[in-house]
Amino acid sequence: MPESIPASLIIDTLKTTFREARGGASPEPLGWVLSVPDTHQRTVLAALDKEQAIRVLTCATEDEAATVAAGLYIGREPCVLMIQHAGLYASVNTLRGVAMDGRVPILYMIGLLSRERDRQPRESRHSMVRFCEPLLDTFGVPHARLEGPDDVHLIPEYYRRAQERRGPAAVLVGLETI
Amino acid sequence: MSMSPEEVLRLIAAERGNAICIPTMTTAPAWRAIAPDDLSVACVGFMGGASALGLGLALARPDRRVLIFDGDGSLLMQLGSLATIAGAQPRNLVHFLFKNGVYHTSGAQEIPGGLTVDFVVMAKGAGYRDAFALHELSELKSRLPRILTGDGPLLVELFTTLAAETPMTSPGGTPFHEQVQALRDKLRT
Repeated sequence: MPESIPASLIIDTLKTTFREARGGASPEPLGWVLSVPDTHQRTVLAALDKEQAIRVLTCATEDEAATVAAGLYIGREPCVLMIQHAGLYASVNTLRGVAMDGRVPILYMIGLLSRERDRQPRESRHSMVRFCEPLLDTFGVPHARLEGPDDVHLIPEYYRRAQERRGPAAVLVGLETI
Repeated sequence: MSMSPEEVLRLIAAERGNAICIPTMTTAPAWRAIAPDDLSVACVGFMGGASALGLGLALARPDRRVLIFDGDGSLLMQLGSLATIAGAQPRNLVHFLFKNGVYHTSGAQEIPGGLTVDFVVMAKGAGYRDAFALHELSELKSRLPRILTGDGPLLVELFTTLAAETPMTSPGGTPFHEQVQALRDKLRT
């Protein structure tokens, strides 16, 4: 059964990920979280409010968030996107035009809001949950699911994968963070 | 009176120093000819993205000025970026808005609201440090030094004629991913 992940664990993992992306250096900010607030990951966003090491930029749309990520990448600043599945659907053209065609490594952290604890997302009663993984498959975006605290290693792993393939990668947050 | 976009771009090219520039849609072909192989990345293929791309660059490189050459139809596609930029308050960002009232590339259909849409009011309402409109090249010439050195975020609405070329009449240029990599390499230091 999937479990919720504590916000502090995700934030510590992001710090490690950004530090590694900078070759071990620890400037402030270490990196950026580009967010269109996601109910599913709201405890992470709340905890990030108190963080100095990671800067959060709240964007009006997911299109903006992905395009800001491209600017940060060009300027050599590490970042991740923190959005929900509906935002992925809303920003598919930017996923294609910026992350894929621009060969910009962007790690998407996508909250699966309304995902049922006892079902695989592809079997969800909710279309917004059901279509997320098939959409990523259609676009050839590698993805993995964070089903509990033991899976947070997938964050740096998929961050690196995005860098190596020079394109988008995604981790899906299975249950609401705590 | 309106300015030609090419005249505007030539004026900016002469004064910009080492600023990073982000042309989009109808400014892209002209900028390619005026400022080839420099610190630029064109937003073509994801219309509306110039402002957010510029914001990311401005946040990553606060030591450099970032100049966005946006279009009125383009900005309408991501109008919320005005608030996102204002929220981030990048002092090094200048948002030039080339206003011609139409979607020139697709056949010059009028944008919603045409020339009556007031982007100066919108930018100020969003929280830009300043915003104003210019109609004459002589006005731009006299104000440009201050525009390029003052604190942003600043929006300058430029009333322009149609460009001589669009991405449809003058396709080509360096593919986006190559521009991304080239600018990233140049910004290594």
